[in-house]
Amino acid sequence: MSKRILCKFFTHGACLKGEQCEFSHDWKDESSNVCTYYKKGSCSYGSRCRYDHVRVPQIKTSTLAASSNSLPRNSASVHIQSAVVASSSSGKDNPSSPSSFHLSASSKPFFPQAADDNVTSQNNAEIQPSDIPICSFAESGNCPHKDSCVHIHGDLCTICEKHCLHPFRPSEREEHVKSCLKNKKYLEALRISQDIECCVCLDLVLSKPKLSERKFGILSECDHSFCISCIRNWRSNSLNVSMDANSTLRTCPICRILSYFVIPSVIWYSSKEEKMEIIDTYKAKLRSIDCRHFNFGNGACSFGTSCFYKHAYRDGRLEYVVLRHLNSEDGNTVISKDVRLSDFFREMRL
Amino acid sequence: MQSSRARLFKEYKEVQREKSADPDIQLTCDESNIFKWSAFINGPSETPYEGGVFQLAFAIPEQYPLLPPQVRFLTKIFHPNVHFKTGEICLDILKNAWSPAWTLQSVCRAIIALMAHPEPDSPLNCDSGNLLRSGDHRGYKSMAKMYTKLAAMPKKA
Repeated sequence: MSKRILCKFFTHGACLKGEQCEFSHDWKDESSNVCTYYKKGSCSYGSRCRYDHVRVPQIKTSTLAASSNSLPRNSASVHIQSAVVASSSSGKDNPSSPSSFHLSASSKPFFPQAADDNVTSQNNAEIQPSDIPICSFAESGNCPHKDSCVHIHGDLCTICEKHCLHPFRPSEREEHVKSCLKNKKYLEALRISQDIECCVCLDLVLSKPKLSERKFGILSECDHSFCISCIRNWRSNSLNVSMDANSTLRTCPICRILSYFVIPSVIWYSSKEEKMEIIDTYKAKLRSIDCRHFNFGNGACSFGTSCFYKHAYRDGRLEYVVLRHLNSEDGNTVISKDVRLSDFFREMRL
Repeated sequence: MQSSRARLFKEYKEVQREKSADPDIQLTCDESNIFKWSAFINGPSETPYEGGVFQLAFAIPEQYPLLPPQVRFLTKIFHPNVHFKTGEICLDILKNAWSPAWTLQSVCRAIIALMAHPEPDSPLNCDSGNLLRSGDHRGYKSMAKMYTKLAAMPKKA
């Protein structure tokens, strides 16, 4: 059905999809020059955009089908918001009433949209305020059109201090506030982290000359700060053979508490919970990466069940290991992964 | 190499800034080579080394701070953990218990602490160690005091 629109890549002779392409590879078909960003609500190029900023894609119902990926959000919220709007539109300082939109050029596309998604209740040409995009000028503080602006002027977000809360999209508002809070917390943490020094190179970690070095290496067991390169260099240091790995190298250079792993992090933490969060995110990230030693079951990873990386076979099945504990007479327990005959001989004291 | 230089430079600045912070330690860097340092430390009070000024020589490896600096006494000293002839120091933090968080300044402090608390069970100077191990504290003290007087005190004109 979308075969009607000429493929942009095809016109340049470079469409990789060939027969599978959802757009037309027939020169007789017309190409579409409608700006998809404008259709979704905001094109940052504004009047300078080289695509057409038209709300009505004339007769081409097919264009709408092609662009239907932009629709679900709107159409899904239409049901809920129709009720919200009915009750709140009278109270809100809506810059222009919905009826004025009914007359404007931009009212048309919403017929086929509604029809496409079988939203029968919305067929009477009313534009829902929740469909009107937010004004980006007002968002940053200054809209030249003031009250006559065709876009909705958002409410003030107290966190980022921008007028970016859509008055008629409650889910979007919630989302924004959530991400705003998270952002603010992150920035705050980053600000505190700026002043933290690495105890090995004595530099401020986030002001190191190399970008790749501007990261903390957090030790799991103590709270001393190092940059990732310094602590990793120290822990992997084999220059001095007399230094024992477990009593010297793997301990914190300051308090000498043994830590088995180092967690890289861009921000420093100020509480136990934040540290746990950093560690958990790090571990979760590693767990999503396939272990290259395990190599989908073809290799052997010496970390075994303690490996932070994913041990999964090609078919997505996770490795399942039953640990065998061998108890000896003196009470020591040995975990043996590959059980060998000799393990039993040793116990029998032959 | 580059990182050791940067780190030593930081330490140099720190030493310049707090020159008067610890009156017992005077740490100076060789003007032409940042990998050579020397220090004058005052013998700790209530020890036979009191009143003496001891010179230390630091040779810093290129892998510093991953490797400890090599430190030795230039001034003769009678101490169980210092080699009488070469001035070599037997101190765990300069060997296997080194940590990159130590600085030259803190190494000096550790050496002063070692002077106050000798460890006769791992002696480099056996004579001194034997005196202490056999419980002859008076003998050890007078020997140490004599050498301090001979080698570490400014000659009275």
